[in-house]
Amino acid sequence: MRTRQRLSLLTVAAMIGVTGCSQGTESTESTAEQNVAATTSCAANGELTMWERSGGNKDMVDMLVAAWNTKNPDCKIALTYIPHTEMVGKIAQGIASGQVPDLMGMDLIYAPQFEKAGQLVDLTDRIRAWPELATASSGHMTVATYDQRLYGVPLYADVSALFYNKDLFKKAGLDPAKPPASLSELRSYADRITALGGDVKGYYLPGNCAGCNIFTVGPLMWASGAKIEAAGPGDEPLVGDGVKQVLQFERDMVKAGNVHDGDRTENGETFHLQFGSGKVGMMGTGNFNITLARQQNPGMDFGIALLPGVAPNSSASFIGGDLVVVPKGSKRVNDAVNFMKFLLSDDVQVEVYAKALNLTTRSDMVDNKYFQAEPLVQDVAKALTVGRTPYTLTFFEQINSPQGPWLKMLQRAYYSDDDLDTVIADAKKEMKEIAAKS
Amino acid sequence: MQGTRRNRWTGLAYVAPALVFVLVFTVYPLGRMIWMSLHEWSLIAEPHFIGLDNFRRAFGDQQFWTSFRFTLMYTVLITPVLIVGGYLLALLTAPPSRVRAVTRTVIFVPVVIGLGVSSLLWYWLFSTDFGVINRILLDLGVIDQPVLWLGVDAGTSNFAISTSVVWKVIGFGMILFVGAIQAIPTEITESSLVDGAGYRQRVTRVVLPLTMRTVLLVTLLSVIGSLLAFDQFYIMTAGQPQNETATSVFFVYLNSFPYLRLGYGAALSLILAVTILAFTIVQLVLTRRSES
Repeated sequence: MRTRQRLSLLTVAAMIGVTGCSQGTESTESTAEQNVAATTSCAANGELTMWERSGGNKDMVDMLVAAWNTKNPDCKIALTYIPHTEMVGKIAQGIASGQVPDLMGMDLIYAPQFEKAGQLVDLTDRIRAWPELATASSGHMTVATYDQRLYGVPLYADVSALFYNKDLFKKAGLDPAKPPASLSELRSYADRITALGGDVKGYYLPGNCAGCNIFTVGPLMWASGAKIEAAGPGDEPLVGDGVKQVLQFERDMVKAGNVHDGDRTENGETFHLQFGSGKVGMMGTGNFNITLARQQNPGMDFGIALLPGVAPNSSASFIGGDLVVVPKGSKRVNDAVNFMKFLLSDDVQVEVYAKALNLTTRSDMVDNKYFQAEPLVQDVAKALTVGRTPYTLTFFEQINSPQGPWLKMLQRAYYSDDDLDTVIADAKKEMKEIAAKS
Repeated sequence: MQGTRRNRWTGLAYVAPALVFVLVFTVYPLGRMIWMSLHEWSLIAEPHFIGLDNFRRAFGDQQFWTSFRFTLMYTVLITPVLIVGGYLLALLTAPPSRVRAVTRTVIFVPVVIGLGVSSLLWYWLFSTDFGVINRILLDLGVIDQPVLWLGVDAGTSNFAISTSVVWKVIGFGMILFVGAIQAIPTEITESSLVDGAGYRQRVTRVVLPLTMRTVLLVTLLSVIGSLLAFDQFYIMTAGQPQNETATSVFFVYLNSFPYLRLGYGAALSLILAVTILAFTIVQLVLTRRSES
């Protein structure tokens, strides 16, 4: 019996010892790891795992991973796409079971929630000195920062802009070289295009899609000097005359018949296909639509301008896209950081992003040979300079949810005769309540 | 005495696999859900105990009660359609004949399709721009411009969703009713014929009373299915217009995952579970009374 007790005690002591040793080793290693300068190559051999949401910019991410894998055959990235709506649950499962990937692509808008929850590796000491960060997309870097600590870098950028159909402009007697520079011009141009008749309408408004509207109608408000979301408890949302002015503008557009009736049911499923149909004069959409519209309608001539505000020549844009982050529990932090360095390198910015006519994630890389040969990309890249990304821990609930106050407010404004001040006040109240819970 | 004890252990050994199954897949998740409902848990952060706060919040949550009322209304509307429709189809297709067997099969086929798939199918059929339904109605001259079926008007949205659900589910009730009707002894039917009962009298006085147990079973299943409705609303309207088609389960999902309030979602689930349990008990009592 005594022998058994002694053995048990020895076993427990040994276990404590091993645990202690391993903890000690881990902490020493992590300090040592942090002191390793980042490169664009393997830090250690062996496959890295990466999760990315599906429904994002898949082709772009595939190209970036392929470029890394070609350069680093000894530490290739195995990329797994997870349905966008299941991403949070999957990460939570991974954290609970200790099976997280080495790297993650993440819709940038959700990053602050994960940063606050302490689920991402703090990369501040490893990356803050990088010169590339000075020109990295400001919208991305804003949401990659929590409590003055850095948690990621841009993976790809989507910006919103005003696409306009030059063929329809010509038919309506408008100058295709002069896109609208204010909301009043946008309205009068739309009237003239709609007057062409048939199935053509001057404007496009996604009536049942919260995300599409923050991407394309949100900038009209920002450009008109308004603020939309509540950043946190006590913060005032929907501030400024621009909110009401833009809602009135959109209501007038709908009432004037400048929008197809069917747009009212658009929930985002066919949003990306609308401009390429050739039946829309002007539409707020994203840089991704350049390639799509060309594939869909090769003969169509179109241009890109910045989304305007009430005052002439005011403009704004929504900077969206993904961040690349490292989840807590990643076993390959050094290589994850190296992949980030690789993404931001001059060569990848030009030879992968720009070559595929995707936006570079560094503003100083916009002036490159590929964009010079493609004026439309140059035009859309200007949106990066006037773009912004909302920062709130409750973005989905306030803005992106089909059940949220943002879409409810827009639908009442677009399709009802409710007093706009009441509509805004109701949404404001709901947004504040949501923000108060964060 | 020893034999009885041995029998007890043998019996326990026989039921052990089923018992383990129930413990792992029913008792543990239920216990875990109760535990979760007492915590504030964002799914990606550590949970912390808040007692009954989630329940207090749920009872004061206007959106939850709106979705709950909508779910009850949907249940009250859809259940009779499924029961009466299924029963009528069963009466038409129960008598043995090859044509009737083929008809039964055709009506039953949608039951084997997943609800998500069938909802997606109907979502596209009812699509404003690309949908076949608008195309047919336009070609027939019934409408002169496409109808905005989904997400714009609560009435048309509910009509569209109910149509898809009836198409998908009605065959299930029909098959159960067919089984019950065919199980009625032929002597009873024949004696009612000898007594001079017409078709209507046979159905109302003989067939219906003898299949009442199945009617109550199908009613119970339909009520539970309708109270738990999610897929069809999630896919076809996502709760639009302005949350007017948001069901209770949709609200639970929304809070648990996209809004990252797993604890609150668990509390809402428990409230729903208790409600469904209450419905089930009422129906079981009714079933027993009808039997006695």
